[in-house]
Parts: sequence; C-alpha cells; structure tokens
Amino acid sequence: MIKQFISLEWKQFFRASYFQKGVAIKILLILGALYFGGIAILLGGGMFFIFKKTIPDIDPIVSVNNFIVYWMLFELIIRFFMQQLPVMNIKPLMIVPIKRSTIIHYLLGKTTISFFNFISLFLFLPFSIVLLVQGYPVVNVVFWFFSLMCITLVLNFLNFLINKSNAVFYILAPLFAVLIGLEYYEIFKISEPIGFVFNALYNNPFLAVVPILVLIGIYYVNFKFIRKGFYLDDTVSKKIKEVNASDLSWMNRFGSVAPFLKNDVKMISRNARPKQVIMMSFFFLFYGLFFFTQSVYIEEMPYVLAFAAMFITGGFLLSFGQLVPSWDSEYYKMLMSQNIPYRQYLESKWYLMVVAVAVSFILSTPYIYFGWDIYLMIAAGALFNIGLNTFITLFGGALNRVPIELNVKAKAFSNTNGFNPTQLLIALPKMLLPILIFFIPYQFISFNAGLIALALTGASGIIFKNFFLNKIESIYQKGKYKTIAAFSEKN
Amino acid sequence: MITVRNLSKSYNKVQVLSLESLDIPKGQSFGLVGNNGAGKTTFFSLLLDLIQPSSGFIKNKDILVNESEDWKPFTSSFIDESFLIGYLTAEEYFYFIGELRGQNKSDVDKLLSQFEDFFHDEILGKKKYLRDLSKGNQKKAGIVAALIGNPEVIILDEPFANLDPTTQIRLKQILKDLAEKQGVTVLISSHDLMHVTDVCERIVVLEKGEMVKDIATSEATLKELEEHFTSQSFS
Repeated sequence: MIKQFISLEWKQFFRASYFQKGVAIKILLILGALYFGGIAILLGGGMFFIFKKTIPDIDPIVSVNNFIVYWMLFELIIRFFMQQLPVMNIKPLMIVPIKRSTIIHYLLGKTTISFFNFISLFLFLPFSIVLLVQGYPVVNVVFWFFSLMCITLVLNFLNFLINKSNAVFYILAPLFAVLIGLEYYEIFKISEPIGFVFNALYNNPFLAVVPILVLIGIYYVNFKFIRKGFYLDDTVSKKIKEVNASDLSWMNRFGSVAPFLKNDVKMISRNARPKQVIMMSFFFLFYGLFFFTQSVYIEEMPYVLAFAAMFITGGFLLSFGQLVPSWDSEYYKMLMSQNIPYRQYLESKWYLMVVAVAVSFILSTPYIYFGWDIYLMIAAGALFNIGLNTFITLFGGALNRVPIELNVKAKAFSNTNGFNPTQLLIALPKMLLPILIFFIPYQFISFNAGLIALALTGASGIIFKNFFLNKIESIYQKGKYKTIAAFSEKN
Repeated sequence: MITVRNLSKSYNKVQVLSLESLDIPKGQSFGLVGNNGAGKTTFFSLLLDLIQPSSGFIKNKDILVNESEDWKPFTSSFIDESFLIGYLTAEEYFYFIGELRGQNKSDVDKLLSQFEDFFHDEILGKKKYLRDLSKGNQKKAGIVAALIGNPEVIILDEPFANLDPTTQIRLKQILKDLAEKQGVTVLISSHDLMHVTDVCERIVVLEKGEMVKDIATSEATLKELEEHFTSQSFS
C-alpha cells in the first residue's frame, strides 16, 4: 500500500504543470537546501571548537546543552513559518478499501523526511562525531545524539499540531511568548532548568528513554487528531465562516477605480494568503532599526540608508505588488471578459500600493528619534516608492503568471507559488536604483543633494504616471492569453 | 449580431474547432450541443477573447473581439465557477458586477428582486461567501450575475448542469423571455437535448470541432437530435 502512495506522490510531483515549467525554481530551491545543509554541517563540525574558544571554562558539551533550548525554539519558529505540511488528497482514498490508519501513518511518516528534520541531523551529527574524536564517552554521546534526534521529531509533530489545531496554537503561542519575555528580562530563566535537563540527559544515557516516550506520545496524539478529523465534513470540506462585512462605501470617492479598490480590500481581509503578506509588510517597518542603530552606516555609508529607507515604506509594495495579477488569478477569466479596461484594473492596484506606502510612511514617524536626516530620507524613499517602484512592480507583474490560491497560507521552500527568477530580476532595480540615485549626487555634492535627487526621481515618476501606466497596460494586453491560460491551470 | 468567419483553433497542430461561417442574428436564442470535446467551450472562449483564434475571426456587433474591447460593455457571460469571486458574498458579487456595468445598488436590487424564487432563499442574505456555497447555488449566482446591466449578448456554458429541477424550469423561462421579449441574443451550450430544444430557436451541433447540423427548432427537432446522437454511439 505504502508503495502505491509513494508512486502517487511521485506522479503528483512530476506531473504537476508548474513542475514542468518551474525546473529552474526547483534547482534554485535545491541549491538553497544544499547551502543551508552545508552551513549546518560546517557549523556542527566547528561548534565544539567555537564553544571551547569563547567559553573556555565550561566543557563545550555543557555549553551546547545550555544553549540548546534557543536552537529548539528557533527551529520550531522556522518550522511554523516555513515547513510545508503534507497535504494528501485524501478524498479519493476515503472510499477505497485502505485502512484509515495506514493512510494516517503514511501521512505522518511523510513529515519525517522533511528538510527541516535534516537540518538538526546535519548540525548535531558532525558535532557528535567531533565529540567522539575528542574522546568523549561513546555511550553518552550516542544516546545524547539519539535523544536530540527524537526531540527534533517531537518538534516536527508538535509543529503539525500547532499548524492544524487552533486550540494547540492558542495555548502554546502565549505560553512561549511569556517564557521568552521572562527569559529576556531575566525574571525567570527557563533556559537554565532546560540546560540542566539536557546535561542530565547526557550524563545518564538511560534517560534517553524519556524523549522516546515523548515522541511516541506526541505521535499518538497526532494520530488521534487526524483520525478524528478523517471525515468529509471536517477536514476535507471547508469550514464555512461567517462573513465579516464592513461598509466600504466611503471608498467610492476614488471614482472609477473604487469598485476594484473595495474588492481588493475585501480580498486582503478575507483570505489567508494576502493576510500573511500584510503581516510581512508590517515587519518591514522595523527594517530601519538594523541600519539606523549602526553608526557605521550613518557616518560612512549613508547610501545604504537609502536602501533601508526604501524598505521601510515599501513592505507592502514589494510583497503584495510583485504578485499583482496573481491575486486575481482565481477569477481572472471573469475579469477579462467583464466590462473592465485593463487600465482601470492596473490603476486601482497602483492606488492601493500608493495608499500602503503613505500609511507605512505615517507609521514610520517614530524614526524621527534617529534624527531628521533619517526621517527625510525615509520620506524621500517613500516618494521614490510611489513614483517609480510602483511602476516597476506592476511591470514585473506582467511577467508573473503563477496562480495563487488565495485562502491557502504560503509556506516557503516547498511552496513555490508566486515565486520565480524573473521576480528576482525585477526586484533588483527596485532595491539598487534608490541607492544609485542617492549615491551619485551624495558623492559629488552633498547628503542633501542625494535626498533631493531621490525625492525628485519619485516625483517625476508621479508626473509621468499616465505614460507609465499606458506602457504597462500594453504589456499586460500582449500577455493576456498566456496569463489566462496559466491561471486556469489548477495545481 | 455575431459573425464568425473561417474560425479555427488548434493546439499543437491538432484542430479543436473549425467553423467556416456562422451568423447569429440579434435576439436569437442559440443553442450549441455536442459531445465532450466537440469544441463548445472553445467556441465560447474565443467569443470572449479568452483564447486566441488560430485563424479567422469573430465579430460581435461588428467589433472584432480579439482586437477591440468594445464588445465588453454589452456582452456578459458565465462559463464556469472561475467567473465567481470566492471571497465575496453573493450580494457583494452582484453589486461588484453592477458597478462594473454601470449599475447602482438599487438597479441591481431591482433586478435581483425578479429572481427571488430562482434563488430559493438560499443565496441572498445568507452571509456566506460564494466559495462556501454548493455548486448549484454558485451556478445560480453566476447566471444571475450575467444578467446584470442589460447585456445584449449573454453567453452561458452548460447553464442547466448542477441545477435542481425547479430551477431548471425557471431558468428556461428566464432565458426564453430574454430572447423573445427583450431582444437579447442568448448563446447556451448544453448536454441536455430536451432543455436546449425547449429554450433555443436554433440549434447547432458540433462534432470534433466542426458544425454538422444547423437546425431551426421545431416539433421534430428533439427527435432529430436524439437520432443523431444515437447513431453516434453506434458508429
């Protein structure tokens, strides 16, 4: 039976239409995986010596044990945001004679071969080998390593629960938040008892039985959880949500683009994927903190700040904008046969991005704390975003033909939806251009000249808005059939 | 109203549609029947400029559909569920379409009030997103949305599929009225021979992309069609 499942998966993977087109992306992803895997191996191999050098008084294994909780937390967070949980199309399997438990075991088993589990392996296997070479007791090291692998799998299954069950998520998320807070403010250091536990684990190999029991326990919980939901009306058929209707008629003042704007607002507020993007663009606001707190940048390389300034107000623009026609991919055919000039459609997206930049700019007011220079720079960056980056983004969208499932959260790595190399190429000018435009006048005239150049470029973009939109419209028009065909392929 | 000349569509050199000449006058209710793969949906997609013709052209009210967008204001359609916006409620969707077609809320409400029985109390005021409605109810919403804004040409692909019997009967009435009383050109495709013969005054049979029959509907039409498709199954 398992053999047949695997062959099904294999076919699903290789016959998916996006696979055939997205080989380049797959290669990129594999390279990425190799890169991170390689780093993990290097780090694992070097960890012993790093700890020995930085904390010479304490045995490296003890240091590792003390810090291991941070790694696990990090791993769990990364998993939560990035790990694609296996979705098996169970609907057709429900009516054929296969035991449910077989399917569930398979489903859970599949999660164990995720790349994220291997990261831990790549990290701790070399470390353990180094320990052995250094003459640490074999039994202790082997059992310790074994326990860590069990814990990795525990995290794997825990992540599954957190993702699938709201209850687990709402219990664990605040718990973690509180513990991290207590740790950070040094009120109660949870890392200390956990470090103690890991050291005990290392010193008493027989304790390895505990992680195994935990693993079995959490596997069982997962099993029960899936088993319970293994009916059409729970897992497979969608949950029906009550509508959250809000009155958006105030947006009518935007004239002919109003219907689209209203629609986009609803699209964003009612679907999982765009919500995720909004969250992300919110984090962009804090991007400046990386740069403005470092005096190196302010004193020696202010042109890098132009980049940061662009990022602060451009979060939405970059993350939402680059997927512009894809957001409407689910009903693109309708839009194309409806009484809509392409121009209006594009213009409404443009307004949306402009409003987002303006809102981000208002939210970035606290940056005044770092000085007016910085704030003016953010303002210039915002103008640049409005005047040029919006158009570059829309232009890039014309080349983007990857359909998006609106109500499905994106997970990086395994989910290549809406990501392609062309997007990366298009993203480059968006980020490099502001640096260049600032750098040249800054180098030859002054800081303020750089600011003015940046702002003026943005402003001139706004003046030429119609010209740009017309050009972009004709590009969209040309690619129309290809886009429709690509969007109507369901994956 | 609609003129088709030398129209063909091929994918990888396999021809899926080839229509030498077809004219559909204004106010005609036009039915398209044929087995799977006969080219019905391809024809409608070409008509809506969703795919490009390999040769020839379609004119909708003297407008070349693949060169100008001016046919859009008076043409409306419902091909499949991908014409619906899943995250809107039915009302929101109707108003959205209404706005696109220059109708205000009360215009749309007025139109909708005629379809209360059609909706069977399952669509309006339900506070449900379209993506959460059943297939049949989605179809109803899509069909009614295609009637918004007094279109002159309405294109419906398989409008009867997935509908319950009551709604099918009601839909037939609606479509007939549109063509007869309001002079709307209605194009539908169907696998249900009985429904098409009931609704359409003209029926064209497609077979492997080619027109094999063009019948003005009469008492004998249903029989003729049935015989045609019966002979198909033996040949």
